[in-house]
Amino acid sequence: MTRLVFWAIDYRVLVIWFATLIVAVMTVPGFASTITLGLALDRAASMGLIAVGLTVLLAAGQIDLSSGAVFAVSGIVAVVLQPNIGIWPAAGVGMLAGLVAGAINGFVVVGLGVNSLVATLATLLAYRAIGHWITQSQPMSGMDIMLALAISQVHWGMLTLRAALFLVLILLLHLWLTYTVAGRNLIALGSSPETARTSGLRPGRMIILAFMGAGLLAGGAGVLQSLSVNTGSPVFGTDLTLLALTAVVVGGTRLEGGRATALGTLGGVLTLVTLTTGMEFASVPAYVQEVVTGMILLTLIVLDRFARPQGAMT
Amino acid sequence: MSVAPLSPPRHSTRSMLATAGSLALPLAVVAVLLLGVSTSSNFLTVSNLLNVLTSMSIIGVIVVAMTFVLITGGLADLSVPATVGMGAILTLALQPMLGTVGAFSAGVLAAGGAGLLNGVLVGYARINAIIVTLATGTVILGVAQWVVGGVIVYGADPTSGNLLKGRVGGVPTIVLIFASVVILGHLLLSHTVWGRWSRATGDSLSAATAAAVPVKLVSAGAFVLTGIAGGISGGLLALTLQNARPGIGQGYEFSAITAVVVGGVSILGGQGSVLRAVGGLIFIQLLTNVMTLTGVRTPVQGLALGLLIIAAVALDLAVRKRGGA
Repeated sequence: MTRLVFWAIDYRVLVIWFATLIVAVMTVPGFASTITLGLALDRAASMGLIAVGLTVLLAAGQIDLSSGAVFAVSGIVAVVLQPNIGIWPAAGVGMLAGLVAGAINGFVVVGLGVNSLVATLATLLAYRAIGHWITQSQPMSGMDIMLALAISQVHWGMLTLRAALFLVLILLLHLWLTYTVAGRNLIALGSSPETARTSGLRPGRMIILAFMGAGLLAGGAGVLQSLSVNTGSPVFGTDLTLLALTAVVVGGTRLEGGRATALGTLGGVLTLVTLTTGMEFASVPAYVQEVVTGMILLTLIVLDRFARPQGAMT
Repeated sequence: MSVAPLSPPRHSTRSMLATAGSLALPLAVVAVLLLGVSTSSNFLTVSNLLNVLTSMSIIGVIVVAMTFVLITGGLADLSVPATVGMGAILTLALQPMLGTVGAFSAGVLAAGGAGLLNGVLVGYARINAIIVTLATGTVILGVAQWVVGGVIVYGADPTSGNLLKGRVGGVPTIVLIFASVVILGHLLLSHTVWGRWSRATGDSLSAATAAAVPVKLVSAGAFVLTGIAGGISGGLLALTLQNARPGIGQGYEFSAITAVVVGGVSILGGQGSVLRAVGGLIFIQLLTNVMTLTGVRTPVQGLALGLLIIAAVALDLAVRKRGGA
């Protein structure tokens, strides 16, 4: 019995996700269908792509609050440049914008030594401002509405392009964090920056690369979002950063660095999406959804704190 | 940093640099005042300056409390929009039953209770403040909306806002409330044991623990303060506007952190004062006002603000490093 409880605590994300799924399937008619699954996975994709980047950053002991703004700016760039240079080059430049935004974050954190929480709060304001500047605060339309349909196409009955991309990246991240030297170095850096430095790692370079990766992912997610709705808007992605951050932490990655799990992040993202989709299908009022989601998050966070006393000695 | 002079000269350089550092903010405020006077004839008028003061008062209450969170090393309280929303919604919703003062107090008390929840989770359970306040923020705002059935609440008694819009000796009441919060906050942080404990906790948790400072109590207390401040701010906002939307406090958490950080309070804790944080707020508000008066578009203002935060923090770090602190 005790062993079962410990097992449940260790795999708490899985347990909560299954519990949510079961409740949703039992209470919402028609919830258990591939259409619902496809819809939920597509919704999960934007948050998930950002969560992948955040998992890497958190592992290194950093945070990025600006990814929602990068998401918006990259999408805007990809839409606004379409008439000038064509759809695909514009999408490329949009992703490049994300990469550059990430590099700027990395420079401010590593080069100027500003704490990443403050640094990315500042760049969040700046990137949002740039988004409003380019678009004059109006949503911008793209050229090809058919492309939007093609991108939102559901393959194999359940996967859209971005959902597939998210799942592949999560798997790659898992392999990278678990089996490669670079991935383990990153976690070593997050758990003890001083030791990592003295044992010959180059923390500055690693952190800048992590920020660039997070920027590229946020940018890519933004471009896909803008192409799939054929619109670029400066207010896209406002809640995304905090949602993705929540998913990552709920999955078991520590905000203080040194512990990261890609599969946990996948679990966190799926839990959040199942919760919101299920409650929306059941027509639960938005504010009740917030209370339920918040309570589940709090439970997971508190469990995380007390489940592993050995990891808690910070 | 490579040069390591003997301790006596380093000491004097250090104090000189520290003086330069502490003068930077007042100088920046003077500079933005001069900029305002030289670029806009409307800037140095009583009505404009009173407008600036009034608009900063409501966020200012939160800035004072957020200073304590940063100084104790609590990073930030991201549940501020929720406590502001709770204060605002309860103040107007309970007004018909409890009267204005009673409803306002109930809102502040509820928001303070939410702050206590944050405080227990951050201070006593020692869970990262960012994720705690993110999660509690969702719950708090949801509960506040649930209580009133998820609608926008309108004021039942429009005259209740008049008291706040009124003036005492030419100064708007709301500014006087802000001023008294600043004075109380300053006294608490700079002239009491509680303030000394707060700085010690943020400076070094282990050293403070060893010195028998009640670190858990002090860390938790900072979040109770932001909760109460959020409630006050929300209540004042609702009485002024005579309506309370759930999203009424959106962005307040980041604005408050910005002011505190620009005021030179380190996000790593241990250093700073309420007056410096308020100085940061004054600087930002004046700068925004000058930009608006001279026709600078809002997006450009946002960009300027972002750059300003980075510059302020980077400069602060550089000064401290050079000073050997």
